[in-house]
Amino acid sequence: MRVARQPLWTVGFLAPSVALIGVFVLVPIGLTLWLSLHEWSTATPFSEASWVGLDNFKALFEGAIVGRDFRQSWRNTFVYAGLSIALILPLSVVLGIIIQRSTIRGRTVLRTVLFATYTIPMIAVAIVWSKLYSPSEGPINEALGWFGIAPQPWLSSTSTALVSLVFLNVWQQLGYFTVLVVAGLTQISPSVFEAAALDGARTLKLHAYVTIPLLRRTLLFCVVIALINAIQVFEPVVAITQGGPVGSTNVLTYHIRQVGIERSQGGLASAMAVMLLLSLMVVVTFVFALARRAEDR
Amino acid sequence: MSAGRLVSRTSLYGFALLVCVVTAFPVLWMVATSLKTPSEALQSPPVWIPSSPTLEAYGQVGDVIDVGRSFVNSALIATITTAGILVTSLLAGYVFAKYRFRGRDALFALLIATMFLPPIVTLIPLYRIVGQLGIDGNLAGVIVPNLANAFGIFLMRQFIAGVPDELIEAARLDGASELRIVFSIVAPVVLPALATLALFAFVYHWNSYLWPLTVLQGNEDHAPIVLSLARLLTYTGSAQNTPIVMAGATLAVLPPLLLFVVLQRFFVNTMARTGLSG
Repeated sequence: MRVARQPLWTVGFLAPSVALIGVFVLVPIGLTLWLSLHEWSTATPFSEASWVGLDNFKALFEGAIVGRDFRQSWRNTFVYAGLSIALILPLSVVLGIIIQRSTIRGRTVLRTVLFATYTIPMIAVAIVWSKLYSPSEGPINEALGWFGIAPQPWLSSTSTALVSLVFLNVWQQLGYFTVLVVAGLTQISPSVFEAAALDGARTLKLHAYVTIPLLRRTLLFCVVIALINAIQVFEPVVAITQGGPVGSTNVLTYHIRQVGIERSQGGLASAMAVMLLLSLMVVVTFVFALARRAEDR
Repeated sequence: MSAGRLVSRTSLYGFALLVCVVTAFPVLWMVATSLKTPSEALQSPPVWIPSSPTLEAYGQVGDVIDVGRSFVNSALIATITTAGILVTSLLAGYVFAKYRFRGRDALFALLIATMFLPPIVTLIPLYRIVGQLGIDGNLAGVIVPNLANAFGIFLMRQFIAGVPDELIEAARLDGASELRIVFSIVAPVVLPALATLALFAFVYHWNSYLWPLTVLQGNEDHAPIVLSLARLLTYTGSAQNTPIVMAGATLAVLPPLLLFVVLQRFFVNTMARTGLSG
Protein backbone atom coordinates (compact mmCIF):
# COMPACT_ATOMS: atom_id res chain seq x y z
CA MET A 1 0.00 0.00 0.00
CA ARG A 2 1.29 3.41 -0.92
CA VAL A 3 0.39 5.84 1.85
CA ALA A 4 2.25 8.88 0.58
CA ARG A 5 4.52 9.74 -2.28
CA GLN A 6 6.72 11.74 -0.03
CA PRO A 7 9.49 9.61 1.50
CA LEU A 8 9.10 9.16 5.22
CA TRP A 9 12.52 10.62 6.02
CA THR A 10 11.58 14.05 4.68
CA VAL A 11 8.60 14.10 7.04
CA GLY A 12 10.86 13.07 9.89
CA PHE A 13 13.41 15.76 9.04
CA LEU A 14 10.77 18.50 8.91
CA ALA A 15 8.81 17.32 11.94
CA PRO A 16 10.96 18.79 14.73
CA SER A 17 11.04 22.28 13.20
CA VAL A 18 7.41 22.30 12.11
CA ALA A 19 6.18 20.94 15.44
CA LEU A 20 8.25 23.34 17.55
CA ILE A 21 7.48 26.44 15.48
CA GLY A 22 3.87 25.31 15.21
CA VAL A 23 3.29 24.81 18.93
CA PHE A 24 5.42 27.67 20.21
CA VAL A 25 4.91 30.35 17.53
CA LEU A 26 2.01 29.69 15.13
CA VAL A 27 -0.51 28.41 17.70
CA PRO A 28 0.29 31.33 20.04
CA ILE A 29 -0.34 33.82 17.18
CA GLY A 30 -3.77 32.26 16.69
CA LEU A 31 -4.38 32.34 20.44
CA THR A 32 -3.38 36.00 20.67
CA LEU A 33 -5.97 36.83 17.98
CA TRP A 34 -8.59 34.69 19.73
CA LEU A 35 -7.83 36.00 23.24
CA SER A 36 -8.02 39.60 22.05
CA LEU A 37 -11.78 39.06 21.67
CA HIS A 38 -12.13 37.59 25.16
CA GLU A 39 -11.88 38.55 28.76
CA TRP A 40 -9.33 36.18 30.19
CA SER A 41 -7.04 36.07 33.22
CA THR A 42 -3.54 34.87 32.34
CA ALA A 43 -3.53 32.82 35.54
CA THR A 44 -6.37 30.58 34.29
CA PRO A 45 -6.64 27.97 31.49
CA PHE A 46 -7.68 29.18 28.02
CA SER A 47 -11.07 27.51 28.55
CA GLU A 48 -11.94 30.15 31.15
CA ALA A 49 -11.92 32.93 28.55
CA SER A 50 -15.28 34.59 27.99
CA TRP A 51 -16.31 36.28 24.74
CA VAL A 52 -16.46 40.09 24.83
CA GLY A 53 -16.32 40.88 21.11
CA LEU A 54 -14.40 44.07 20.38
CA ASP A 55 -14.63 45.45 23.93
CA ASN A 56 -10.88 45.13 24.54
CA PHE A 57 -10.15 47.10 21.38
CA LYS A 58 -12.74 49.74 22.31
CA ALA A 59 -11.00 50.21 25.66
CA LEU A 60 -7.74 50.90 23.83
CA PHE A 61 -9.31 53.75 21.85
CA GLU A 62 -11.30 55.30 24.71
CA GLY A 63 -10.33 58.12 27.05
CA ALA A 64 -9.93 56.06 30.23
CA ILE A 65 -6.51 55.33 31.73
CA VAL A 66 -6.27 51.93 29.97
CA GLY A 67 -6.51 53.57 26.56
CA ARG A 68 -4.31 56.52 27.43
CA ASP A 69 -1.48 54.33 28.76
CA PHE A 70 -1.67 52.09 25.72
CA ARG A 71 -1.65 54.94 23.24
CA GLN A 72 1.27 56.57 25.05
CA SER A 73 3.30 53.35 24.91
CA TRP A 74 2.36 52.93 21.23
CA ARG A 75 3.57 56.47 20.46
CA ASN A 76 6.73 56.04 22.51
CA THR A 77 7.53 52.78 20.71
CA PHE A 78 7.18 54.21 17.22
CA VAL A 79 9.00 57.45 18.09
CA TYR A 80 11.79 55.31 19.53
CA ALA A 81 11.84 53.13 16.41
CA GLY A 82 11.74 56.11 14.04
CA LEU A 83 14.57 57.94 15.79
CA SER A 84 16.64 54.75 15.98
CA ILE A 85 16.26 54.13 12.25
CA ALA A 86 16.97 57.78 11.41
CA LEU A 87 20.31 57.51 13.22
CA ILE A 88 21.28 53.93 12.38
CA LEU A 89 20.63 54.04 8.64
CA PRO A 90 22.89 56.94 7.55
CA LEU A 91 25.63 56.02 10.04
CA SER A 92 25.71 52.37 8.97
CA VAL A 93 25.87 53.36 5.28
CA VAL A 94 28.80 55.73 5.87
CA LEU A 95 30.64 53.22 8.07
CA GLY A 96 29.88 50.34 5.71
CA ILE A 97 31.33 52.30 2.79
CA ILE A 98 34.40 53.24 4.83
CA ILE A 99 34.97 49.61 5.82
CA GLN A 100 34.30 48.09 2.40
CA ARG A 101 35.42 50.74 -0.11
CA SER A 102 37.97 53.04 1.50
CA THR A 103 41.67 52.24 1.74
CA ILE A 104 42.30 53.53 5.26
CA ARG A 105 44.24 51.34 7.67
CA GLY A 106 42.53 49.61 10.55
CA ARG A 107 39.24 49.06 8.72
CA THR A 108 38.85 45.52 10.09
CA VAL A 109 39.53 46.82 13.60
CA LEU A 110 36.71 49.32 13.09
CA ARG A 111 34.38 46.53 11.95
CA THR A 112 35.30 44.28 14.86
CA VAL A 113 34.91 47.02 17.47
CA LEU A 114 31.56 48.08 15.99
CA PHE A 115 30.08 44.61 15.81
CA ALA A 116 31.37 43.59 19.24
CA THR A 117 28.76 45.81 20.94
CA TYR A 118 26.04 43.72 19.32
CA THR A 119 27.18 40.67 21.29
CA ILE A 120 26.85 42.43 24.66
CA PRO A 121 23.69 41.54 26.61
CA MET A 122 21.19 44.41 26.46
CA ILE A 123 20.80 44.29 30.24
CA ALA A 124 24.54 44.96 30.65
CA VAL A 125 24.33 47.77 28.09
CA ALA A 126 21.41 49.25 30.01
CA ILE A 127 23.23 49.07 33.35
CA VAL A 128 26.44 50.59 32.01
CA TRP A 129 24.62 53.41 30.19
CA SER A 130 22.49 54.20 33.24
CA LYS A 131 25.77 54.96 35.03
CA LEU A 132 27.21 56.86 32.05
CA TYR A 133 24.08 59.01 32.04
CA SER A 134 24.27 59.73 35.78
CA PRO A 135 23.71 63.52 36.02
CA SER A 136 26.21 64.01 38.88
CA GLU A 137 29.04 61.47 38.65
CA GLY A 138 28.48 60.33 35.05
CA PRO A 139 31.23 60.78 32.44
CA ILE A 140 28.89 61.96 29.67
CA ASN A 141 27.89 65.19 31.40
CA GLU A 142 31.51 65.65 32.44
CA ALA A 143 32.68 65.33 28.82
CA LEU A 144 29.93 67.69 27.59
CA GLY A 145 31.19 70.21 30.15
CA TRP A 146 34.58 70.30 28.38
CA PHE A 147 32.81 71.75 25.36
CA GLY A 148 30.82 74.19 27.45
CA ILE A 149 27.58 72.21 27.13
CA ALA A 150 25.32 72.31 30.19
CA PRO A 151 24.70 69.02 32.05
CA GLN A 152 21.68 67.11 30.74
CA PRO A 153 19.12 65.27 32.91
CA TRP A 154 19.14 62.22 30.52
CA LEU A 155 17.05 59.41 32.02
CA SER A 156 15.53 61.54 34.77
CA SER A 157 13.51 63.97 32.63
CA THR A 158 10.37 63.28 30.57
CA SER A 159 11.78 65.28 27.66
CA THR A 160 15.12 63.42 27.36
CA ALA A 161 14.55 59.89 28.74
CA LEU A 162 13.24 58.28 25.53
CA VAL A 163 15.97 59.87 23.40
CA SER A 164 18.56 58.63 25.91
CA LEU A 165 17.29 55.10 25.32
CA VAL A 166 17.52 55.67 21.55
CA PHE A 167 21.24 56.54 21.85
CA LEU A 168 21.84 53.39 23.86
CA ASN A 169 20.04 51.34 21.20
CA VAL A 170 21.97 52.97 18.34
CA TRP A 171 25.23 52.30 20.16
CA GLN A 172 24.40 48.62 20.53
CA GLN A 173 22.95 47.97 17.06
CA LEU A 174 25.07 50.11 14.74
CA GLY A 175 27.70 47.40 14.20
CA TYR A 176 25.14 44.83 13.14
CA PHE A 177 23.66 47.13 10.51
CA THR A 178 27.10 48.22 9.34
CA VAL A 179 27.89 44.55 8.70
CA LEU A 180 24.62 44.20 6.75
CA VAL A 181 25.67 47.17 4.61
CA VAL A 182 29.16 45.69 4.14
CA ALA A 183 27.51 42.43 3.07
CA GLY A 184 25.32 44.36 0.63
CA LEU A 185 28.34 46.20 -0.78
CA THR A 186 30.20 42.95 -1.47
CA GLN A 187 27.29 41.98 -3.75
CA ILE A 188 27.89 45.00 -5.98
CA SER A 189 30.25 44.18 -8.81
CA PRO A 190 33.58 46.09 -8.49
CA SER A 191 33.33 46.94 -12.19
CA VAL A 192 30.47 49.30 -11.33
CA PHE A 193 32.80 51.35 -9.17
CA GLU A 194 35.58 51.23 -11.78
CA ALA A 195 33.26 52.38 -14.53
CA ALA A 196 31.94 55.20 -12.38
CA ALA A 197 35.45 56.25 -11.38
CA LEU A 198 36.64 56.28 -15.02
CA ASP A 199 33.68 58.50 -15.67
CA GLY A 200 35.40 60.98 -13.41
CA ALA A 201 32.83 60.74 -10.64
CA ARG A 202 34.18 62.07 -7.37
CA THR A 203 33.94 59.89 -4.31
CA LEU A 204 30.96 61.55 -2.63
CA LYS A 205 28.98 61.82 -5.84
CA LEU A 206 29.88 58.24 -6.71
CA HIS A 207 28.40 56.97 -3.48
CA ALA A 208 25.35 59.23 -3.61
CA TYR A 209 24.41 58.38 -7.19
CA VAL A 210 25.81 54.87 -7.65
CA THR A 211 26.40 53.06 -4.37
CA ILE A 212 23.31 54.05 -2.41
CA PRO A 213 20.81 53.34 -5.24
CA LEU A 214 22.45 49.92 -5.70
CA LEU A 215 22.10 49.30 -1.96
CA ARG A 216 18.36 49.95 -2.06
CA ARG A 217 17.31 46.41 -1.21
CA THR A 218 19.85 46.15 1.60
CA LEU A 219 18.62 49.42 3.06
CA LEU A 220 15.00 48.31 2.81
CA PHE A 221 15.89 45.15 4.71
CA CYS A 222 17.80 47.23 7.29
CA VAL A 223 14.79 49.47 7.90
CA VAL A 224 12.48 46.51 8.46
CA ILE A 225 14.89 44.71 10.80
CA ALA A 226 15.75 47.90 12.71
CA LEU A 227 12.03 48.53 13.17
CA ILE A 228 11.38 45.03 14.48
CA ASN A 229 14.42 45.21 16.77
CA ALA A 230 13.33 48.61 18.10
CA ILE A 231 9.89 47.27 18.98
CA GLN A 232 11.59 44.71 21.22
CA VAL A 233 13.19 47.33 23.51
CA PHE A 234 12.66 45.99 27.01
CA GLU A 235 15.69 45.59 29.31
CA PRO A 236 16.54 49.29 29.81
CA VAL A 237 12.89 49.95 30.59
CA VAL A 238 12.27 47.06 32.98
CA ALA A 239 15.60 47.37 34.80
CA ILE A 240 16.28 51.11 34.74
CA THR A 241 13.34 53.42 34.00
CA GLN A 242 10.28 51.20 34.74
CA GLY A 243 8.55 53.13 31.98
CA GLY A 244 9.13 56.49 33.66
CA PRO A 245 9.52 59.28 34.34
CA VAL A 246 5.74 59.73 34.05
CA GLY A 247 5.34 57.09 31.38
CA SER A 248 7.79 58.76 29.00
CA THR A 249 9.67 55.50 28.38
CA ASN A 250 6.68 53.19 28.63
CA VAL A 251 7.04 51.11 25.45
CA LEU A 252 4.85 48.35 24.04
CA THR A 253 6.90 45.27 24.92
CA TYR A 254 7.11 46.49 28.52
CA HIS A 255 3.52 47.68 28.70
CA ILE A 256 1.95 44.57 27.13
CA ARG A 257 3.94 42.38 29.51
CA GLN A 258 2.91 44.51 32.51
CA VAL A 259 -0.76 44.22 31.59
CA GLY A 260 -0.76 40.61 30.42
CA ILE A 261 1.68 38.95 32.83
CA GLU A 262 2.06 41.16 35.92
CA ARG A 263 -1.61 42.19 36.01
CA SER A 264 -2.88 38.96 34.38
CA GLN A 265 -5.24 40.84 32.03
CA GLY A 266 -4.51 38.41 29.21
CA GLY A 267 -7.39 39.40 26.94
CA LEU A 268 -6.67 43.12 27.07
CA ALA A 269 -2.94 42.58 26.58
CA SER A 270 -3.67 40.33 23.59
CA ALA A 271 -5.71 43.12 22.01
CA MET A 272 -2.69 45.39 22.48
CA ALA A 273 -0.47 42.76 20.85
CA VAL A 274 -2.87 42.55 17.90
CA MET A 275 -2.79 46.35 17.52
CA LEU A 276 1.00 46.19 17.55
CA LEU A 277 1.02 43.51 14.86
CA LEU A 278 -1.43 45.48 12.70
CA SER A 279 0.60 48.70 13.10
CA LEU A 280 3.74 46.83 12.16
CA MET A 281 2.11 45.40 9.03
CA VAL A 282 0.86 48.85 7.99
CA VAL A 283 4.28 50.44 8.50
CA VAL A 284 6.13 47.66 6.66
CA THR A 285 3.66 47.81 3.75
CA PHE A 286 4.15 51.59 3.62
CA VAL A 287 7.94 51.24 3.63
CA PHE A 288 7.79 48.72 0.78
CA ALA A 289 5.43 50.94 -1.22
CA LEU A 290 7.81 53.86 -0.72
CA ALA A 291 10.76 51.74 -1.86
CA ARG A 292 8.86 50.62 -4.96
CA ARG A 293 8.04 54.22 -5.86
CA ALA A 294 11.69 55.16 -5.50
CA GLU A 295 12.58 52.26 -7.79
CA ASP A 296 10.09 53.34 -10.44
CA ARG A 297 11.48 56.83 -10.62
CA MET B 1 48.71 63.80 -2.89
CA SER B 2 46.79 67.05 -3.39
CA ALA B 3 45.85 69.25 -0.45
CA GLY B 4 42.16 68.47 -0.88
CA ARG B 5 42.81 64.75 -0.86
CA LEU B 6 44.97 65.08 2.25
CA VAL B 7 42.18 66.92 4.05
CA SER B 8 39.55 64.35 3.06
CA ARG B 9 41.79 61.46 4.11
CA THR B 10 42.56 63.08 7.44
CA SER B 11 38.89 63.69 8.15
CA LEU B 12 38.13 60.08 7.17
CA TYR B 13 40.67 58.83 9.72
CA GLY B 14 39.34 61.31 12.27
CA PHE B 15 35.78 60.09 11.81
CA ALA B 16 36.78 56.41 11.98
CA LEU B 17 38.80 57.06 15.14
CA LEU B 18 35.92 58.98 16.74
CA VAL B 19 33.52 56.11 16.02
CA CYS B 20 35.98 53.60 17.51
CA VAL B 21 36.41 55.68 20.67
CA VAL B 22 32.68 56.28 21.18
CA THR B 23 31.97 52.60 20.54
CA ALA B 24 34.65 51.26 22.84
CA PHE B 25 34.20 53.82 25.61
CA PRO B 26 31.20 52.33 27.48
CA VAL B 27 32.92 48.93 27.58
CA LEU B 28 36.21 50.42 28.80
CA TRP B 29 34.29 52.47 31.37
CA MET B 30 32.55 49.33 32.59
CA VAL B 31 35.87 47.52 33.10
CA ALA B 32 37.57 50.58 34.63
CA THR B 33 34.72 51.13 37.08
CA SER B 34 34.76 47.47 38.12
CA LEU B 35 38.36 48.04 39.27
CA LYS B 36 37.58 51.17 41.31
CA THR B 37 37.31 51.47 45.08
CA PRO B 38 33.86 52.44 46.48
CA SER B 39 35.04 55.98 47.25
CA GLU B 40 36.43 56.45 43.73
CA ALA B 41 33.07 55.40 42.31
CA LEU B 42 31.38 58.15 44.33
CA GLN B 43 33.64 60.96 43.16
CA SER B 44 32.41 63.83 41.06
CA PRO B 45 33.90 64.76 38.64
CA PRO B 46 34.29 61.06 37.77
CA VAL B 47 37.56 59.18 38.07
CA TRP B 48 38.54 58.08 34.54
CA ILE B 49 41.31 55.66 35.45
CA PRO B 50 41.34 53.96 38.89
CA SER B 51 44.44 55.05 40.83
CA SER B 52 44.91 51.72 42.61
CA PRO B 53 42.99 49.08 40.63
CA THR B 54 41.45 46.41 42.84
CA LEU B 55 39.64 43.15 42.11
CA GLU B 56 37.69 43.47 45.37
CA ALA B 57 34.40 44.19 43.59
CA TYR B 58 34.63 40.88 41.73
CA GLY B 59 34.70 39.03 45.03
CA GLN B 60 31.68 40.96 46.30
CA VAL B 61 29.49 40.03 43.32
CA GLY B 62 29.20 36.59 44.89
CA ASP B 63 27.80 38.06 48.11
CA VAL B 64 24.66 39.16 46.27
CA ILE B 65 24.11 36.65 43.49
CA ASP B 66 25.17 33.05 42.93
CA VAL B 67 27.61 33.71 40.09
CA GLY B 68 28.59 30.10 39.45
CA ARG B 69 25.03 28.89 39.35
CA SER B 70 23.92 31.76 37.09
CA PHE B 71 26.76 31.01 34.69
CA VAL B 72 25.90 27.32 34.59
CA ASN B 73 22.25 28.21 33.90
CA SER B 74 23.22 30.61 31.12
CA ALA B 75 25.65 28.09 29.64
CA LEU B 76 22.99 25.34 29.70
CA ILE B 77 20.36 27.59 28.14
CA ALA B 78 22.68 28.94 25.43
CA THR B 79 24.44 25.69 24.48
CA ILE B 80 21.43 23.36 24.51
CA THR B 81 19.32 25.87 22.58
CA THR B 82 22.13 26.43 20.06
CA ALA B 83 22.69 22.69 19.59
CA GLY B 84 18.95 22.19 19.08
CA ILE B 85 18.75 25.00 16.54
CA LEU B 86 21.75 23.63 14.60
CA VAL B 87 20.21 20.15 14.34
CA THR B 88 16.62 21.18 13.54
CA SER B 89 17.80 23.81 11.04
CA LEU B 90 20.17 21.40 9.26
CA LEU B 91 17.47 18.75 8.88
CA ALA B 92 14.70 21.11 7.74
CA GLY B 93 17.06 23.21 5.60
CA TYR B 94 18.23 20.05 3.80
CA VAL B 95 14.68 19.02 2.91
CA PHE B 96 13.70 22.52 1.77
CA ALA B 97 16.87 22.85 -0.31
CA LYS B 98 17.07 19.41 -1.91
CA TYR B 99 13.62 17.90 -2.00
CA ARG B 100 10.49 18.94 -3.90
CA PHE B 101 7.07 18.22 -2.46
CA ARG B 102 3.63 19.66 -2.72
CA GLY B 103 3.13 22.77 -0.55
CA ARG B 104 6.86 23.13 0.05
CA ASP B 105 7.08 26.81 -0.82
CA ALA B 106 3.94 27.67 1.16
CA LEU B 107 5.25 25.83 4.24
CA PHE B 108 8.63 27.51 3.87
CA ALA B 109 7.02 30.96 3.56
CA LEU B 110 4.85 30.30 6.64
CA LEU B 111 7.89 29.32 8.72
CA ILE B 112 10.00 32.23 7.45
CA ALA B 113 7.25 34.76 8.22
CA THR B 114 7.70 33.97 11.92
CA MET B 115 11.22 35.41 11.66
CA PHE B 116 9.73 38.91 11.55
CA LEU B 117 7.43 38.49 14.53
CA PRO B 118 8.23 40.55 17.64
CA PRO B 119 8.26 38.05 20.55
CA ILE B 120 5.83 40.14 22.63
CA VAL B 121 3.02 39.30 20.17
CA THR B 122 3.04 35.67 21.30
CA LEU B 123 4.42 36.05 24.83
CA ILE B 124 1.18 35.79 26.79
CA PRO B 125 -0.35 32.63 25.24
CA LEU B 126 3.14 31.10 25.08
CA TYR B 127 3.56 31.68 28.80
CA ARG B 128 0.27 29.88 29.40
CA ILE B 129 1.08 27.00 27.00
CA VAL B 130 4.41 26.38 28.72
CA GLY B 131 2.56 26.49 32.04
CA GLN B 132 0.03 23.88 30.83
CA LEU B 133 2.93 21.68 29.68
CA GLY B 134 4.21 21.88 33.26
CA ILE B 135 7.68 23.19 32.34
CA ASP B 136 7.28 26.77 33.57
CA GLY B 137 9.61 27.91 36.32
CA ASN B 138 12.53 25.77 35.16
CA LEU B 139 15.23 25.57 32.50
CA ALA B 140 13.19 23.29 30.24
CA GLY B 141 10.60 26.04 29.96
CA VAL B 142 13.29 28.51 28.90
CA ILE B 143 14.89 26.13 26.39
CA VAL B 144 12.22 23.98 24.72
CA PRO B 145 10.21 26.70 22.90
CA ASN B 146 13.42 27.94 21.23
CA LEU B 147 14.85 24.69 19.88
CA ALA B 148 13.87 25.55 16.31
CA ASN B 149 13.82 28.89 14.56
CA ALA B 150 13.04 30.32 11.17
CA PHE B 151 16.31 32.18 10.70
CA GLY B 152 18.26 28.93 11.10
CA ILE B 153 16.09 27.07 8.60
CA PHE B 154 16.40 29.95 6.14
CA LEU B 155 20.17 30.15 6.52
CA MET B 156 20.65 26.40 6.11
CA ARG B 157 18.39 26.18 3.06
CA GLN B 158 20.33 28.99 1.36
CA PHE B 159 23.66 27.27 1.91
CA ILE B 160 22.64 23.65 1.38
CA ALA B 161 21.12 24.67 -1.99
CA GLY B 162 24.71 25.37 -3.05
CA VAL B 163 25.94 21.85 -2.16
CA PRO B 164 26.36 19.88 -5.46
CA ASP B 165 23.63 17.26 -6.01
CA GLU B 166 26.28 14.84 -7.36
CA LEU B 167 27.92 14.76 -3.94
CA ILE B 168 24.65 13.71 -2.32
CA GLU B 169 23.78 11.23 -5.10
CA ALA B 170 27.21 9.59 -4.81
CA ALA B 171 26.73 9.10 -1.08
CA ARG B 172 23.26 7.64 -1.68
CA LEU B 173 24.68 5.16 -4.19
CA ASP B 174 27.20 4.16 -1.53
CA GLY B 175 24.24 3.26 0.62
CA ALA B 176 24.50 6.15 3.08
CA SER B 177 21.31 6.95 4.98
CA GLU B 178 19.80 10.42 4.63
CA LEU B 179 20.73 11.16 8.24
CA ARG B 180 24.32 10.22 7.51
CA ILE B 181 24.35 12.33 4.36
CA VAL B 182 23.19 15.39 6.30
CA PHE B 183 25.68 15.09 9.11
CA SER B 184 28.78 13.74 7.38
CA ILE B 185 28.46 15.06 3.80
CA VAL B 186 26.36 18.22 3.89
CA ALA B 187 27.28 19.65 7.29
CA PRO B 188 31.06 19.87 6.64
CA VAL B 189 30.43 21.72 3.35
CA VAL B 190 28.25 24.35 5.04
CA LEU B 191 30.49 24.67 8.10
CA PRO B 192 30.93 28.48 7.83
CA ALA B 193 27.16 28.92 7.82
CA LEU B 194 26.82 26.56 10.78
CA ALA B 195 29.48 28.55 12.66
CA THR B 196 27.61 31.78 11.93
CA LEU B 197 24.32 30.27 13.05
CA ALA B 198 25.98 28.95 16.22
CA LEU B 199 27.40 32.41 16.95
CA PHE B 200 24.07 34.17 16.48
CA ALA B 201 22.08 31.56 18.39
CA PHE B 202 24.50 31.40 21.31
CA VAL B 203 24.78 35.18 21.64
CA TYR B 204 21.01 35.64 21.29
CA HIS B 205 20.13 33.04 23.91
CA TRP B 206 22.92 33.94 26.33
CA ASN B 207 21.62 37.53 26.23
CA SER B 208 17.91 36.78 26.04
CA TYR B 209 15.98 38.42 28.87
CA LEU B 210 12.25 38.78 28.24
CA TRP B 211 11.42 35.08 27.97
CA PRO B 212 13.51 33.78 30.93
CA LEU B 213 12.17 36.62 33.11
CA THR B 214 8.61 35.70 32.19
CA VAL B 215 8.80 31.92 32.33
CA LEU B 216 10.99 31.58 35.44
CA GLN B 217 8.69 33.74 37.58
CA GLY B 218 11.44 34.81 39.92
CA ASN B 219 12.83 31.31 40.47
CA GLU B 220 16.40 32.34 41.24
CA ASP B 221 17.83 28.81 41.20
CA HIS B 222 17.34 28.71 37.43
CA ALA B 223 18.10 32.35 36.67
CA PRO B 224 20.64 32.98 33.89
CA ILE B 225 23.35 35.59 34.50
CA VAL B 226 21.41 38.34 32.69
CA LEU B 227 18.55 38.07 35.21
CA SER B 228 20.96 37.87 38.15
CA LEU B 229 22.61 41.02 36.84
CA ALA B 230 19.35 42.96 37.14
CA ARG B 231 19.01 41.66 40.70
CA LEU B 232 22.57 42.72 41.43
CA LEU B 233 21.63 46.22 40.24
CA THR B 234 18.59 46.43 42.53
CA TYR B 235 20.45 45.12 45.57
CA THR B 236 23.36 47.50 45.16
CA GLY B 237 21.48 50.73 44.46
CA SER B 238 23.85 53.34 45.87
CA ALA B 239 26.66 54.76 43.75
CA GLN B 240 29.44 53.39 45.96
CA ASN B 241 28.38 49.87 44.96
CA THR B 242 28.72 50.63 41.25
CA PRO B 243 32.05 48.71 41.00
CA ILE B 244 30.22 45.53 42.10
CA VAL B 245 27.55 45.96 39.42
CA MET B 246 30.20 46.67 36.78
CA ALA B 247 32.20 43.63 37.85
CA GLY B 248 29.09 41.48 37.40
CA ALA B 249 28.40 43.05 34.00
CA THR B 250 32.00 42.48 32.88
CA LEU B 251 31.73 38.79 33.76
CA ALA B 252 28.38 38.43 31.96
CA VAL B 253 29.69 40.08 28.79
CA LEU B 254 32.75 37.84 28.41
CA PRO B 255 31.35 34.54 27.00
CA PRO B 256 29.40 35.99 24.02
CA LEU B 257 32.17 38.49 23.30
CA LEU B 258 34.88 35.80 23.29
CA LEU B 259 32.80 33.55 21.07
CA PHE B 260 32.40 36.43 18.62
CA VAL B 261 36.13 37.05 18.54
CA VAL B 262 36.76 33.36 17.81
CA LEU B 263 34.05 32.94 15.15
CA GLN B 264 33.97 36.39 13.54
CA ARG B 265 36.01 35.42 10.48
CA PHE B 266 33.14 33.23 9.29
CA PHE B 267 30.26 35.52 9.55
CA VAL B 268 30.72 38.51 7.22
CA ASN B 269 31.04 36.23 4.20
CA THR B 270 28.10 34.18 5.39
CA MET B 271 25.90 37.23 5.76
CA ALA B 272 26.84 38.38 2.29
CA ARG B 273 25.87 35.00 0.84
CA THR B 274 22.48 34.63 2.51
CA GLY B 275 21.03 36.97 -0.07
CA LEU B 276 19.16 38.44 2.89
CA SER B 277 20.85 41.71 2.37
CA GLY B 278 21.32 42.10 -1.35
